[in-house]
Amino acid sequence: MSKISPRWKLTGLLILALLLPWLPLGTSTSYFLRVITTAILYMILALGLNIVAGFTGLLDLGYVGFYGIGAYTAGLLTIHFDLSFWVILPMAALNGALWGILLGAPTLRLTGDYFAIVTFGFSELVVLVLRNELWLTRGPMGLPGISPPIVFGHPLKLAWEFYYLVVLLLMIVLLVVTRLEESRLGRAWFAIREDETAAQCCGINLIRYKIIAFAISASIGAMGGAFFARWFKFIHPDMFKFWESILILCLIVFGGMGSIAGTMLGALILIPLSEILRAILPQGMFTARYLIYGLILVLMMRWRPAGLVPFDRAQESKAARTRERLATSGGKE
Amino acid sequence: MGNLLDISSLFLQQLVNGITLGGVYALIAVGYTMVYGVIQLINFAHGEIYMLGAFLAYTQVTVLRLPFFIAFLTTLLICALIGVVLDYVAYRPLRTAPRLAALITAIGMSIFLQNLALLIWGSQIKSYPREVLPKIFYQPALSAGDVSLTWLQIFILSVTVISMLILHLIIHKTKVGMAMRAISQDKVTSSLMGIGVNRVISFTFAIGSAMGGMAGILVGLYYNAIFPTMGYIAGVKAFAAAVLGGIGSVPGAMLGGGVLGIAEVMGAGYLSSSYRDGISYAVMILVIIFKPSGLIGQVTGEKV
Repeated sequence: MSKISPRWKLTGLLILALLLPWLPLGTSTSYFLRVITTAILYMILALGLNIVAGFTGLLDLGYVGFYGIGAYTAGLLTIHFDLSFWVILPMAALNGALWGILLGAPTLRLTGDYFAIVTFGFSELVVLVLRNELWLTRGPMGLPGISPPIVFGHPLKLAWEFYYLVVLLLMIVLLVVTRLEESRLGRAWFAIREDETAAQCCGINLIRYKIIAFAISASIGAMGGAFFARWFKFIHPDMFKFWESILILCLIVFGGMGSIAGTMLGALILIPLSEILRAILPQGMFTARYLIYGLILVLMMRWRPAGLVPFDRAQESKAARTRERLATSGGKE
Repeated sequence: MGNLLDISSLFLQQLVNGITLGGVYALIAVGYTMVYGVIQLINFAHGEIYMLGAFLAYTQVTVLRLPFFIAFLTTLLICALIGVVLDYVAYRPLRTAPRLAALITAIGMSIFLQNLALLIWGSQIKSYPREVLPKIFYQPALSAGDVSLTWLQIFILSVTVISMLILHLIIHKTKVGMAMRAISQDKVTSSLMGIGVNRVISFTFAIGSAMGGMAGILVGLYYNAIFPTMGYIAGVKAFAAAVLGGIGSVPGAMLGGGVLGIAEVMGAGYLSSSYRDGISYAVMILVIIFKPSGLIGQVTGEKV
């Protein structure tokens, strides 16, 4: 067990992250930063999905639906009302949570595979609505010309500016997620994941905790969408298809379901990988990169179902920390 | 009066088209429902087998220039084999793993196969050359006013009905069918009674996949368009059909397929054609939420 406390490790990582844009990478810096920004955006998304899939143990195949809802909420509010990014961000999160509750309340009673397929149907319906309600979303024409966020009166333009913004968002999400993990809420979710019946017998209101998990997860997804819309400045229904959900699921499975560090590592490895594949694969064949993601899902489930950074270790270190705390506080806690 | 006739003939035409489509959905849906019956797994990759069926037959009739009916039969065999291999490679090692793991594997296989097809055949929409079938297939067999039923539709419907009958006989009159029903009730007890559980599961995959592949060919002929992502859309619709009828029940899958096919064609015709796919998803979500046991599914009834 390492002696460095997680807080210091996190601070070290943050300093490293903040220095990243200033490393001497020459002319490719802005490309490199775009890739890393994408990776961090997917980290945020994966952390959100992880709450449902990893913490609570429910397979959510429709996560990208919330991502899309967030992106269109932000895009439409920006274009029509020209609201500030800092107003839009919580609004997108709230809208995501609202849809999460609307979808979750009737469906979270279902058993695992039915829940998975209903969430899948939901995300496909979201794409159909985005595609067909021309009056609202302009359908297949997409929403171009979304203005970038304005920070201290300065509209963001350069790659490193967006990079810092996404790092900030990641920090917020990370703070929320780590606090949740160690909270009463988090423990209830783990209990549900391990054994629903036992959890219920311990007085955990299954539906309530599942809906909370679903709503928080959806709002994080929607926040990611809001950032994406204002960063990419163009959104299109096809960006929020089922494959995105699979990609995000793949990040979690690869890194370690339920493990925060694993989830982030998964995004940090697989998202740049997809950029490498974009360079290798011939034009029009780019979607075939999902072949590798499919294979990763299969192989991980077969040989390393706990992922690269298994969740159990986190559990152990937490238990050890609690023991330490109990020992130093004389068992008063 | 004439207007009324037009309306009713449009309705009849939609009904005919809907039943044809429903038959195809039913063919795919039995694959889902049989596998679900024996191992309680939503085999997401089943839709891809349907897609592979369409492409394998396409390659045989265009590249190898085989006669259509030979290509048809070999495709069924290859699809059955793919189903067995799929089970053997991907699902069997996870029999005792948590259900979530098997489900994720199924999704992974589905994505893998779909993109494999994309790499092999490319993303362009392909169609069977019209010469593969005798000309008569494209001519109306019956027509009354504006309503017509082509020989192709009759062919699709009769193939569907015949294979359903064969399936029914297999499940109810043969030993392996009895074993399938036994496994769907209780896997452990079945194995204690001397049933080779894994062999029967392989057989289930073989039959289901052959029917899925057959559906792929039939749809390829009917819509004259095959593409690598056709499997996932049709797969979800067929799954919706299986759920609608009551998952695990073969007659339910047929009923669900029929109802869904008609609902989809009618919805596209009368409500909104751009929400055509949405109708299946909506039906599926509503059925799962309000009546998860489906139209004729029973909680403890016969499952396979």
